[in-house]
Amino acid sequence: MKKILALMMTLTLALSLTACGSPKEEKAASGSASEKDSDLAYVKDKGTLVVGITDFEPMDYKDENGEWIGFDADMAKAFAESLGVTAEFVEIDWDNKIMELDGKTIDCVWNGMTLTDEVKSSMSCSNAYCNNAQIVIVPKDKADQYQDKDSLSDLTFAVEAGSAGEEQVKALSLNYTAVKAQADALMEVAAGTSDAAIIDSLMAAAMVGEGTSYDGLTYTIGLNNEEYGVGFRKGSDLTTALNDFFRSSYEDGSMTERAETYGVQAAVIEQ
Amino acid sequence: MPILEVEHIRKYFDHIEVLKDISFSLEQGQVVSIIGSSGSGKTTLLRCLNFLERPDKGVIRVNGEILFDADNPAARQEAEIRKKRLHFGLVFQSFNLFPQYTALQNVMLAKELLAKERPDYKANRKSIHAEIEAQAEQLLRQMGLSDRMSNYPHQLSGGQCQRVAIARALALQPDILCFDEPTSALDPELTGEVLKVMKELAEQNTTMVIVTHEMAFARDVANHVIFMDNGHILEQGEPLEVFEHPKEERTRQFLARFTQG
Amino acid sequence: MEQILEQLPIVLKALNIGFLQTLKLFFVTLIGAFPLGLVIAFGSMSRFKPLSYFTKIIVWIIRGTPLMIQLLIIYYFPGLVLHNPVWGGGETGRFVAASVSFILNYACYFSEIYRGGIQGVPIGQEEAGLVLGMTRGQIFFKITLLQMIKRIVPPMSNEIITLVKDTSLARIIALQEIIWAGQAFMKGSQGISGAIWPLFFTAVYYLICNGILTVLLGQLEKKLDYFK
Repeated sequence: MKKILALMMTLTLALSLTACGSPKEEKAASGSASEKDSDLAYVKDKGTLVVGITDFEPMDYKDENGEWIGFDADMAKAFAESLGVTAEFVEIDWDNKIMELDGKTIDCVWNGMTLTDEVKSSMSCSNAYCNNAQIVIVPKDKADQYQDKDSLSDLTFAVEAGSAGEEQVKALSLNYTAVKAQADALMEVAAGTSDAAIIDSLMAAAMVGEGTSYDGLTYTIGLNNEEYGVGFRKGSDLTTALNDFFRSSYEDGSMTERAETYGVQAAVIEQ
Repeated sequence: MPILEVEHIRKYFDHIEVLKDISFSLEQGQVVSIIGSSGSGKTTLLRCLNFLERPDKGVIRVNGEILFDADNPAARQEAEIRKKRLHFGLVFQSFNLFPQYTALQNVMLAKELLAKERPDYKANRKSIHAEIEAQAEQLLRQMGLSDRMSNYPHQLSGGQCQRVAIARALALQPDILCFDEPTSALDPELTGEVLKVMKELAEQNTTMVIVTHEMAFARDVANHVIFMDNGHILEQGEPLEVFEHPKEERTRQFLARFTQG
Repeated sequence: MEQILEQLPIVLKALNIGFLQTLKLFFVTLIGAFPLGLVIAFGSMSRFKPLSYFTKIIVWIIRGTPLMIQLLIIYYFPGLVLHNPVWGGGETGRFVAASVSFILNYACYFSEIYRGGIQGVPIGQEEAGLVLGMTRGQIFFKITLLQMIKRIVPPMSNEIITLVKDTSLARIIALQEIIWAGQAFMKGSQGISGAIWPLFFTAVYYLICNGILTVLLGQLEKKLDYFK
């Protein structure tokens, strides 16, 4: 009896190993030649462009029907359509974006991603398509005291770990706490656990001030100018394809049109 | 013809010889008591008869048929041995009743599992079950347990448990019923009820091999007594002979301890 | 407060969807890990030494490393190292990868509980079955199994309750279970942002779920009390 079970066990293990390997190996085998040469061919072959995103208004967010919308989402859908494939949106953990990309569980990161040196060195990035700035968020009643860079040194900041905001506080050698998301940074300020936060201006426009969920906060100075881009796997030819698409949709006005839907037209960069 | 013949059995545990060339035989209806101090190999011998241990040398015959031959590897196979075991029944010192079954279910279980192997089982399931149940009830009544049939083992006293265990062994109608110190785990006041049942079985000509420390029982009930010492059979014969006129010094010493105590 | 009441339907809907995912992962893990754990237990008790050592090493590795790392490795390793993203990026792929990780992990924990349960049944039970002419299979299913189950119900209950809470680890590979759903409202989702109360709400779901499980497992334990 034990021997039979022992045999069963060995078989199960062997089977599970081959089962993991086999059906997809075929796919890899058939796609491997073209896939090595061309990411574009790989995406066309499987018929979907898997877009890695987070819930980030106004770039990528869900409407009432659970459909992903936003400036980035709409652009991604249009880009996929131009390739003759469908866009599939997958919510990812932002910390794992490079792993997701390299592991091919997604094909691009298209989520208001600031083109930092780190991003540029680990992904193949498209041309910048949107302007952004890192801006300082403080409680409304203290806004007058912090209108220049020098005044910031006695504050404790909350910034998103690994974000462009973190690069700024490091560059200015300010005191800060790294939190998991930009929204967490806002919450820190609202809760008084941090004095100030640094977040994207596009996000600040949507989330801070009168009529938003943080009406007790306001933004003061911008620390830098930066740009958003889309990230692909290193060496991917999808990057060129997207740059071409950006150019044509800027020229025919459809890019600006989509930006207007979400109120970010002022930030769009000429292609 | 003897019902049981044991010839030149040897058994080693890690190179230590615990049974050294054991031979004896037994006639139908005979009761053999095996006595001797602990560690003398009595229990191992009994376990060899029931194939819970495999002898390293020797032959075991029942009714003239070779059940076990250490030199014949085919005879050592599990499936072969399972059938041959049924010639023997074994009553354990610690009962080993199945706790999740009632007394009646304990007695019926093995027989029902065997019945499932019969070709006519499916057709006659109900009548076979009824037959097994009736037989089990009869056995438990014989053991004086008519009112305990639906009790679980933990609801029974030690003496009652051991009587259920005897009924369970008898249910398969073995040729030879073995007892491994059946009263050693019992409180003294409970040994009587078990010995009484065993005595009744002896009177009904049940062939039994009994490893025991109950000297009075061995002397009064057994037809044959084997005295084991250090893996040998040192002395065997009629109870009166062995108990009253032991030939060996070791036997005398061993018996003296019991008569004094 | 008024705002919370307004947002409550949106939040509850999102939490329900997340909780469904949590429950799916929970049940799939149990269905997979119960039998696999038994197979592993027999493997580690095998008299065939290489098999027994092999299984013991696997159990040691899986019990000795955090489930979170196992999730990351199982999900990302095929694509990153073997250049063969077997799971795919979609929700289904993430769920399957999470299920595989959880089943493997819990099967190893269960196997140790099974092993204790089997070895805790006195050897005399097996011997009694043998001398009554039963096969090893009959002995296992008719005698040992129920006694083993009785022994393992209390430690198993602990693991099962831990499993309910452990499912939240799957969000490391972006499986959108209930905590992910709750956290989304902190980060900002469906017009609600910076709201921490939905996260506290998720705790209520866990409490209710574990409350029901505790009662059910307690009843099972009671049911097996008829023998000792």
